[in-house]
Amino acid sequence: MLIAENLTKIYGQQTALWQLNLEIKAGEIFALLGQNGAGKTTTIHCLLGFILPTEGAAYINGLEVTKNLTVARKQVAYIPETVMLYPNLTGAENLAFFSSLAGFKYSTNELEAYLTYAGLQAEAHHRRLGGYSKGMRQKVGIAIAVAKQVKALLLDEPTSGLDPKAANEFSSILKNMAEKGTAILMATHDIFRAKEIADRIGIMKEGNLVSIIKASSVTTHALEELYLQMV
Amino acid sequence: MQTRTVGLLAKQVWRNTVKNRSTIWLFGVFNLLLLCALLSGYQYMHSQQLLALENSEEVRERWVNNPDKHPHRMAHYGYVAFRQKYPLSFFDFGMDSYVGNVIFLEAHRQNTVNFSAASLSNGLLRLGEISAGMVLQLLVPLLLFFWGFSLVASEREKGTLKIVLIQNVSAVELIAGRALGLFYLSTVVFLPTAIIGGILLGLSDLGLTSIGLYGRFILLLIAYVFYFGLLSWLAVLISAYSSSSRASLIRLIGCWLFFTLMLPKVSQLVGQTLYPAPTKIEFDTAVEEELIQHGDSHNPNDPHFQALKDSLLRAYGVESPQELPFNYSGYVMREGEKLSAETYQRHQENLVGIYQKQQQVVRLTAMLNPYLAIKNLSMAFSGTDYSAFKDFQEQTETYRYTLAQTMNELQIQHISNKVESSADKKAIISRQHWEDLPDFQHQFLSLGQVIRQESISIISLMVWGLGLFLVTNRFAQHLKAF
Repeated sequence: MLIAENLTKIYGQQTALWQLNLEIKAGEIFALLGQNGAGKTTTIHCLLGFILPTEGAAYINGLEVTKNLTVARKQVAYIPETVMLYPNLTGAENLAFFSSLAGFKYSTNELEAYLTYAGLQAEAHHRRLGGYSKGMRQKVGIAIAVAKQVKALLLDEPTSGLDPKAANEFSSILKNMAEKGTAILMATHDIFRAKEIADRIGIMKEGNLVSIIKASSVTTHALEELYLQMV
Repeated sequence: MQTRTVGLLAKQVWRNTVKNRSTIWLFGVFNLLLLCALLSGYQYMHSQQLLALENSEEVRERWVNNPDKHPHRMAHYGYVAFRQKYPLSFFDFGMDSYVGNVIFLEAHRQNTVNFSAASLSNGLLRLGEISAGMVLQLLVPLLLFFWGFSLVASEREKGTLKIVLIQNVSAVELIAGRALGLFYLSTVVFLPTAIIGGILLGLSDLGLTSIGLYGRFILLLIAYVFYFGLLSWLAVLISAYSSSSRASLIRLIGCWLFFTLMLPKVSQLVGQTLYPAPTKIEFDTAVEEELIQHGDSHNPNDPHFQALKDSLLRAYGVESPQELPFNYSGYVMREGEKLSAETYQRHQENLVGIYQKQQQVVRLTAMLNPYLAIKNLSMAFSGTDYSAFKDFQEQTETYRYTLAQTMNELQIQHISNKVESSADKKAIISRQHWEDLPDFQHQFLSLGQVIRQESISIISLMVWGLGLFLVTNRFAQHLKAF
């Protein structure tokens, strides 16, 4: 579903990503671990077509992203580290607007159901987003991604602003989506969360994918040891 | 491109902008300004039309009520022609206030058109008038740039752009949607102006054909709609390809200064430098010198007219002009008028040619400048451009020539060849003949003539539209999401 083929991105003298080869199948959750500047976000941006790779190609559901940008993006949802939406609109209005852009027209009940599913309290659904906490905005971002009904989901540090309960709920949502066949790529610093929900974990260092580990084959402690050794 | 997506993005711009209280204030201020400009322009135009009408009637009445006299005296008594204001001139004053409105027409002399509004007013006019055209051409673009500079750039800065683009929105759809939303905002200012303008136009119809007048008005509105569409698109395009909102604002203000202040002045200067025009004194001196060479019809010893007399005497086989079967003096006057008119016409055509070359330089820069294109179109459709004035000048010269030659013909036909002087009773003809000269009727340029003259401006706006479309498509792939 998500494929990176020799994906390389070089900025001047600096290599942000070097010959990344990766395939994430439908229903799989893949977590990318690594320090800041390791190339996690660059990988996601290349897969989304936000940046053009210097070499190699990114594919979503068999479509080369740079050549089929709009069609490829139609099949993917994205949740950034900080979800920035329109502060003058309510959570429900934001969801309605972004869903409309994606071609989905939902009733108020359906919008509320998506927001509730993403973990946003009912009393906040019709409040302006300007008054939301980072975690609440993140939940609206999750609702937008879920409502898009896509085959692939890319997440960049999605749980960084969430409290433990919300992060836990978020993990359940991701697992649920994966069970329904969604391929998920998640960049994170959270080793515990990666171990908990991912099927495979990749460790990145200075633009290189240095290791891929099957999550079920290691303990959290062992994963942490391995991570610290590699980075 | 999905029109539904474009519509959604446009609607969002509209909703977000009108929610802001300052926007409502701006709408109010601009509409008030435009209303004042339209009403004051209409009031001025109407009073000028009435003044011209009343004075024209008085001039005609005085002309036909002249007593019996020698027709050449009538040719020197002359006629006064008044420039009518085109019924759309209230919309865009153009050059109207700076060119003359009245001209005294007499035999042998081509006088200048005098009494411009600028020459009759105090110095305040030099500070600039406020017409609806001026507000729409100069100030509304600033408003659009103010609303549009951040439409994409700030979304990039805030991080919203990434989420928008991932929702199946292409860069072209994003730019088109935001530009359409910005254009919707311009209609809040433009639509009331168009409606009020239409109502005032209905009130001011001077019996012109509806096709000509309303055709011009409709084309004027279409030109402005296109202009605002272009500016909206330009503002969003610059916002989309600027690294920040601040950079976008600086670029847009730079564009505004370049298009509205720098380029028009530079193009005028280039035109005047490439094609220098003679001063009024130089022009008059050149005409005078050539006329002296041709001969003076009032001087009986002038060699040119002496030769003419000799040839006439030979042709009719008579000894003196008094024996000719027609009035010799009238004949000489007719020939003299013909010569002087031809000479003047030739010099005038050269001068107008120079002015037109200067104008052409300015018109050509409209290809680089949509402001100049709309300015030229607006003035032309409002009947307040140089072409409209030039046409009036040509009509008055034709009328002046007809007046002089009509009087010369009356002299040739009705005055005896044996009169001693013009005071002689035989040298006087009945006042009934004064009505032989029709009244001067200022005719406006037709719609077709205006369109032909402003074809460069029309093409310029279209080229700009096509250019912006191509640039958007060419660079759409390079729109940065963050």
